Amino acid sequence: MYPKQLLGRSGRLVAVGLLVAALLLALSACSSPQTTFDPKSDAADKIQTLYILIIVISGAIGAAVLIAMGYLMAKFRERPGVKARQIHGNNTLEVLWTIGPILILVMIGVPTILAIVGATRAPSEDALHVEVVAHQWWWEVNYPGLGPDGGTLTTANELHVPIGREVAISLKSDDVIHSFWVPQLIGKIDSIPGRTNHLEPFTASEVGVYLGQCAEFCGLAHALMRFRVVVDSLGDFERWVEGMNTPPPAPEEESFLASGQSVFIQNCSSCHAVAGTVAAGRIGPDLSRFGSRLTIGAGIMDNTEENLVEWITNVTAVKPVPEGLPTALAELGNGKQAMPRFDDTLTPAQVEAVAAYLRSMTIE
Amino acid sequence: MATNIAILRRPLDPTGAWAWITTVDHKKIGVLYGLTAFAFFILGGVEALVMRLQLAQADLNVVSAATFNQMFTMHGTTMIFMVVMPAGAAFFNFLVPLQIGARDVAFPRLNALSYWLFLFGSILMNFSFFTGSAPDMGWFAYAPLTAANFSTSSSVDYWILGLQVMGVGTLAAGFNFVITIINMRAPGMTLMRMPVFTWMTLIVSFLIIFAFPVITVAITLLLFDRMFGTNFYDITAGADPLLWQHLFWVFGHPEVYILILPSMGIVSDILPTFSRKPLFGYVTIVLAGAVIAFLGFGVWAHHMFTVGMGRWATSAFAVATMAIAVPTGVKVFNWLGTMYGGSIQFRTPMLFALGFISLFMLGGLSGVMHAVVPVDLHQQDTYFVVAHFHYVLFGGSIFGLTAATYYWFPKITGRMMSESIGKTHFALMFVGFNLTFFPMHFLGVLGMPRRIYTYAPDMGWSGTNMAVTIGAFVIAVSIAVFLYNMVRSARVGQPAGANPWGAATLEWSIESPPHHYNFAIVPTIRSQHPLWDEEANTVEPPPLPYVDESSIHMPSPSYWPLLLAMGVTLVAGSLLVWQAHAIAGLTMGAASGALALISVYRWVFEPAVATEVAEGAAAHH
Repeated sequence: MYPKQLLGRSGRLVAVGLLVAALLLALSACSSPQTTFDPKSDAADKIQTLYILIIVISGAIGAAVLIAMGYLMAKFRERPGVKARQIHGNNTLEVLWTIGPILILVMIGVPTILAIVGATRAPSEDALHVEVVAHQWWWEVNYPGLGPDGGTLTTANELHVPIGREVAISLKSDDVIHSFWVPQLIGKIDSIPGRTNHLEPFTASEVGVYLGQCAEFCGLAHALMRFRVVVDSLGDFERWVEGMNTPPPAPEEESFLASGQSVFIQNCSSCHAVAGTVAAGRIGPDLSRFGSRLTIGAGIMDNTEENLVEWITNVTAVKPVPEGLPTALAELGNGKQAMPRFDDTLTPAQVEAVAAYLRSMTIE
Repeated sequence: MATNIAILRRPLDPTGAWAWITTVDHKKIGVLYGLTAFAFFILGGVEALVMRLQLAQADLNVVSAATFNQMFTMHGTTMIFMVVMPAGAAFFNFLVPLQIGARDVAFPRLNALSYWLFLFGSILMNFSFFTGSAPDMGWFAYAPLTAANFSTSSSVDYWILGLQVMGVGTLAAGFNFVITIINMRAPGMTLMRMPVFTWMTLIVSFLIIFAFPVITVAITLLLFDRMFGTNFYDITAGADPLLWQHLFWVFGHPEVYILILPSMGIVSDILPTFSRKPLFGYVTIVLAGAVIAFLGFGVWAHHMFTVGMGRWATSAFAVATMAIAVPTGVKVFNWLGTMYGGSIQFRTPMLFALGFISLFMLGGLSGVMHAVVPVDLHQQDTYFVVAHFHYVLFGGSIFGLTAATYYWFPKITGRMMSESIGKTHFALMFVGFNLTFFPMHFLGVLGMPRRIYTYAPDMGWSGTNMAVTIGAFVIAVSIAVFLYNMVRSARVGQPAGANPWGAATLEWSIESPPHHYNFAIVPTIRSQHPLWDEEANTVEPPPLPYVDESSIHMPSPSYWPLLLAMGVTLVAGSLLVWQAHAIAGLTMGAASGALALISVYRWVFEPAVATEVAEGAAAHH
């Protein structure tokens, strides 16, 4: 035996252990607004319970195997005069380390299946139903029954949901496959053309703004297909619905905002809708009460005057678009057209007016 | 004689480059596979480095979104089809005949055809970089993003056609190795005496035979959709886009085992050598490999837990996936059992083998985590998955193949690789690997999706991404050290002799590098460890009488595999030309089709052993 060297090796093992601990600390120290480890809904809580279970089990197995390996490496390293023992196997051991993992897997498998069954349950009767339609590269959000006269309330790239009430989100796609994911609220499910998928119904537990992002590669601007889920208090949610359903006040005639509205109607309304106005285009995102949105362009920029002007002026500077722009309107795969740049059709003053008009429509 | 009046005279004893171009020798073909795979390894690595530069910090503009999408598509496609598979094939080719006491594979010219189809298919796909339409839809090519209206350039066509050409070669190789291993074993080399690497080659070959037809069909349908207006995946015509996903993953999951089982075989051969004792539970390890391969066909939908399959299908695939952990765990425990009681020599191949066990085991554990479906709904399509499969495919497959390179380099070249440079290489690669891929688990937990070319500064991902990028460059340095070691050792390495490691299996019984005929006398095998048992005098060594080399009939070199592969690849290419210019494409298709047909015809009527050689040998007798 060479105790000194053995100690050296176990010392190294300890060092590795410390390193792992440091990494875990680093993880807990750094966080992200899109983290999966800070659940804010009952469904996300359940996932985290399983997540921690499986991390503990696999972490323990991994550590045990690494330690055993380190021990074997130290103990059975080549030494003068010591010959290897010619062992061919051991049936008892091999049976044991076949059955052992099976038992551990049963421990993991049973709660997994129970959770799968739970996640595919039907939503409760008073659940809020939201239909999300994914497009290249933005999200259409519909609330059936919440619109004026029991119609559909439509918005884009920002979902509002109330705290404490179950939310049942169904998913569709207008073109390719996307995936809807808000890590703090719910695991992801794909939006698949020709199908309707359902997220596990969840009840948000804390008011706030939660980040989400498309998780299935969906083409050129996949990285920029982001969104927000705003969890409102019950009162705020009701005010939001009411605000969305109230036609925006018409701008004063001859005003700067009125010029913005007229430019918008002439240039933008074939693609964009604003509830309560003649703008009713369905190709691009619905811009009703745009002034109350937090972001522009599927969650990629803050909703500021400057950003909106930049966006309208030349969208291609902000977001990659298919080939063809700026010389011609780029056609997307579903036959619709991508947003063109407007610096060759509108003057800077006109762009500013449109931006001001859109941002003026807020929910009080 | 047809061969003699041909424009191309059959090469009888070519030298230099011609010896390689016309070779049907499994060892030369193995070396060609290995060198080509290494070249693509560098290309795929550069693609990875480009991605890592772009992602090192938030909001960077190193490359455009379009280029980034090409990089991750081609990185994945390259590493799977042009690096790990052919690197495995390199060792299948070089080693299997040597390990079973054969003089070549069953169909030497078909073997050459497999290599040329792989090479030309790879070149065809990568040629798309020069036309500006490199594949950019992800290596998984999900419908309907691949439809002609969503992917308007030729990128998907290049991907389909390149893969199709490669796939033909791969299938041919699969049949070739099954037939070789079943039929061409030396007397006494029973199945349960075969080295584990040969066993895993047999299992992988079966996997190829069953899995590749599925991808062949899937991409043929896609090609028809794109070029001839069929509706297999066309949503607007009522198709279900999940058809593609099922077909792709019915191929794609067995493919994972096609990539990892060779390395499991490699490690199972290396561990006993450097532990100086037999493999612990040989039968169990072989059976576990077979069980993994079998179960591997029943778990494909675990790549699809987010598509909404319904609770029972989802549960069934979750349980099946967990079940694979059992035979995999058994393998790991038996490898540890092999070390137990041993006299372990920490030579470079052993270091990489130990690296394989530890990293693969970690990748396996995160794989079990994915089987916990609710958790997978968070992990799917995030960097957690990227971390997982790099632990399996890089920490597993690539570490295993690197171990194999150090281990069998002396057999292939006759020279040892430098131990000191090798250990430096190992240290750099092990540290670089973990620095690159371990933090990716954290990125996944923090919600970073895969395949995004940029992210916002306030996402909290920047620091971790910088660490990952630094790690990637450490890996790049380690690969440079590896390359230097190979080049240097091939020229000035210590002469190896027949059995430098004191290993037990048959390939170490003959010279390094072996004669073109491998075994002067076909050996008779009496145990699982022919060389160790001979050393211990428990088995009578085979007699070694003088053998006249000219009496050993080996297949003669041939041009036809190369020309047939060229014809097939050009036919594929003509479809791309046809898309742009009908007449030019049809002309090219007819000409290259004729080349392929003539090559088949000439091949069929070409005797395996050239007439001159056969006549000469007859006269000699």
